[in-house]
Amino acid sequence: MIAVLFIPFALPAMLLALVAAVPIAARWLRVAQREHYVPGSTTFMAWLWVRREPLTGPVALVAAGATVAAALSPYSWLQVMALVAIVLTALLPWGMPVRGTSKKLAFTPRLVRLAVLWAVLHLALGILALFVLGTAGPALVLLLSAPLTDLALAIMAPIEKAASRRFVVAAQKRLAQVRPRVVAITGSYGKTSTKNYVAHLLSGTFATVASPASFNNRLGLSRAVNDKLVPGTEVFVAEMGIFGPGEIRELSTYFPPEIAAITVIGEAHLQRMRSTDVILRAKTEITERASTVVLPIDDPRLARHAELCTTQGKRVITVSCVPGTDADVVLDPGAAAGDAAVGAASIVIGRGAEPAPVAVSSTGHAVNVAVAAGIAYAAGVPVAVIAARLGDLPGSQHRAEVQQAPSGALVIDDTYNANPVGSLRALEGAASLAAERGGPLVVVTPGMVELGPVQVERNRTFGAAIGAAGGLLFAVARTNRGALLAGYASTATSEAPGAIAVATREQAVRRAVEAAGDRGVILYENDLPDHYP
Amino acid sequence: MASTAPWAVVFGGPSPEHEISILTGLQAERVLTAAGHDVVPIYWAPTGDWFRVPAATEAKDYLEGAPSGSTPLEVRVSGEPGIYRRKTFGAERVEIEAALLCLHGGAGEGGGAAAVFSLLGIPATGSTLFAGAVGMDKLAFGGLMQAAGIPSLPREAVSTIVEPTFAGPYIVKPRFGGSSIGIEIADGVDAARALAATSIHLRTGAVVEPYRPELVDLNIAFRTFPSLEITPLEKPLRGDSGSALYSYAEKYLAGGAGTDAGLTSAPREFPAQVPDAVAARARELAERVAEVTRLTGIVRVDLLLDEATGELFVNEVNSIPGALSLYLWVPLQPAATVLLDALTEARDRRVVFPQAGFGGGAALRAAGGIAGKLVGLDGPRA
Repeated sequence: MIAVLFIPFALPAMLLALVAAVPIAARWLRVAQREHYVPGSTTFMAWLWVRREPLTGPVALVAAGATVAAALSPYSWLQVMALVAIVLTALLPWGMPVRGTSKKLAFTPRLVRLAVLWAVLHLALGILALFVLGTAGPALVLLLSAPLTDLALAIMAPIEKAASRRFVVAAQKRLAQVRPRVVAITGSYGKTSTKNYVAHLLSGTFATVASPASFNNRLGLSRAVNDKLVPGTEVFVAEMGIFGPGEIRELSTYFPPEIAAITVIGEAHLQRMRSTDVILRAKTEITERASTVVLPIDDPRLARHAELCTTQGKRVITVSCVPGTDADVVLDPGAAAGDAAVGAASIVIGRGAEPAPVAVSSTGHAVNVAVAAGIAYAAGVPVAVIAARLGDLPGSQHRAEVQQAPSGALVIDDTYNANPVGSLRALEGAASLAAERGGPLVVVTPGMVELGPVQVERNRTFGAAIGAAGGLLFAVARTNRGALLAGYASTATSEAPGAIAVATREQAVRRAVEAAGDRGVILYENDLPDHYP
Repeated sequence: MASTAPWAVVFGGPSPEHEISILTGLQAERVLTAAGHDVVPIYWAPTGDWFRVPAATEAKDYLEGAPSGSTPLEVRVSGEPGIYRRKTFGAERVEIEAALLCLHGGAGEGGGAAAVFSLLGIPATGSTLFAGAVGMDKLAFGGLMQAAGIPSLPREAVSTIVEPTFAGPYIVKPRFGGSSIGIEIADGVDAARALAATSIHLRTGAVVEPYRPELVDLNIAFRTFPSLEITPLEKPLRGDSGSALYSYAEKYLAGGAGTDAGLTSAPREFPAQVPDAVAARARELAERVAEVTRLTGIVRVDLLLDEATGELFVNEVNSIPGALSLYLWVPLQPAATVLLDALTEARDRRVVFPQAGFGGGAALRAAGGIAGKLVGLDGPRA
């Protein structure tokens, strides 16, 4: 131990490293939490900052250079370079706030456990590296903090799973005791709305409990069962989300569905699944254990899956939003579909039944309503009750809400939207509203994320659509800035109001309100938490 | 103060009226605490778990289940019965003088909680299992009124076998369940049957009454300790929503958000502006209901008045009424006195039924071997 003190600058380097570790931990632990503790996500995010944020890469390079200089230099006074490296590392990624403003670090027990391991790992490696590399050691450890955070996540993953077992076991006991029928819903998007609609349609006929908003994995659903599944519950509506293939199969063993439904197969979560075929396979796992399946057959892939389920002897309730389709539930979105306005839609529940009026705001919305009606029909809710209850479906917060700003401009808040199809649709609606009002169209968006291999292309397409619609684009932050601006430039005419890059949403909001005047329409499409560049 | 252990206030419980029960419980807790009493607030979660919750919680603390800082309780009916607080090693008994039950609807008001607390050996307000059960069964209560000769509207079970003896339109009500939840109007017997078959609240049993929208709701409360006392009449006011029924929403949610929510601030005319004869008749009916139901504690009786004829009908009884009907007692007694008297009644004037003795063992001795009792039970011979 004493020997360490003879390394030049050893004590100040260690002390400085301890201080620098605080903001570094705050940043990477927050990223880990925001990215659902998935090992690898922290390094991915660090790399995204290096690529997108112009100062992060160079500062990291200088810090790395200083570390190398300190480690390799024959002159002991050059060890002071390690101190420089530590200070620079504490500032990385350049521009990522230490404390999140949009989403703060939540001190859950899980985070505290991770933080303890994080600290032990960094401290142990830091001391070890101090012996091997001298003062450059602690600097190197801090520089590699993002991968080390992922290492901590990888170590904790099996431990967390084991620790959470008692909640899962308790949920299994409760489920066996209460014995509700389980309705499982999955889909690339729209599953939360659909779940809420199903709960609403069923609750007049059955004692129904729905899993809360984002409790859609093993632990979340277990918690929903433990907290909400009261004795006497007849139907449990479970939203099942996925991070990868096999996950829904596992969820279905814990929460075996009687009725399983898929809303849409789309491109959400492509980052982890790489292709829509993988997504299709992963989502259709939901039907494996169900005796009744509800499928929208306007998608030919799901139509094929419906046929497969029929040959497996399952009861299949087919759903369509194309009038005239041979399906059990057919929703006719009416002429106005696709507009932001409510169409004169109608729905036929059960073959040969009378059409009932229903309010839908868009085609995407229509699929959710139709699937929900199909589930209620499958569960045995009388058709008249379904039709009556379709009249007052609960709204979903933050999804395409239209409000009037004090300035007079219309504001469409679609900030929770993260899928390419929905974004284009929202843009279409906003553009027609703007045309109707004779005011400018202003779009504020950071683009869409988690789209893996197609992310650049989809954001380009979205930018191009904004350009084609003659909208003013505020591209927020850096993650998708390039793709959005390039797309915009590819279609915008000389009359187009232009595309402007802004650093934060707050700045964009101020300028958007100015630009929209009193007749304009402002579309807020998606929102990125501030751990993204 | 004479009492040696704190009072318990028990609220929540497995019932559709769970949330309103929380409001009643928190209100009662505050009233007793403000009067200088020691109170143990106990929350019976919808999942069935019991918790001791911190003092002075707010309604919003219960949005996600038991509030933070709650301790799980164990409820033992055998082996030193009582309520226990779980500790790291073993459990510690929670000493309770008597429990104020604020459990509206469901098993709580229907006598279930009374049975549980009698098994626990903890005196509790509200009535006995038997009195509570009749109060919660609208068909049984209607029959009781009829048998006692107390005026009430005809009330019959929705049956798939026989039709009601009176013509529609009908009010269809859940047979079990104490509030306005699940009440519907049906034009004829077929509609009533369809409702009874599909509605979640009616499937477990439904009754019909003649639908008479002209009748006016009147409420009155009585308590039985230190002696029978009856409140002035209250006329709950229907909203302008155009609804024909005094709905759950009007009854409980009309007060809006915050501390105003709940029965205490629902729109009402109090005391009700009715002829003296009606007021006197209402008191008389309340007294008769008290006698024939053997309900104790603080009880609200819901009446219907035909303003044209001055005729009064007993509609139903609430053995654990919303807000414990404290708002009806304002002209007569402070809330704390009403609650304290109910607790004292529970502690000092217990209703004890003849308990299981062994009958001196006569039946057991005379029984012989159990094998002899199995003879001939094998079902019909082939």
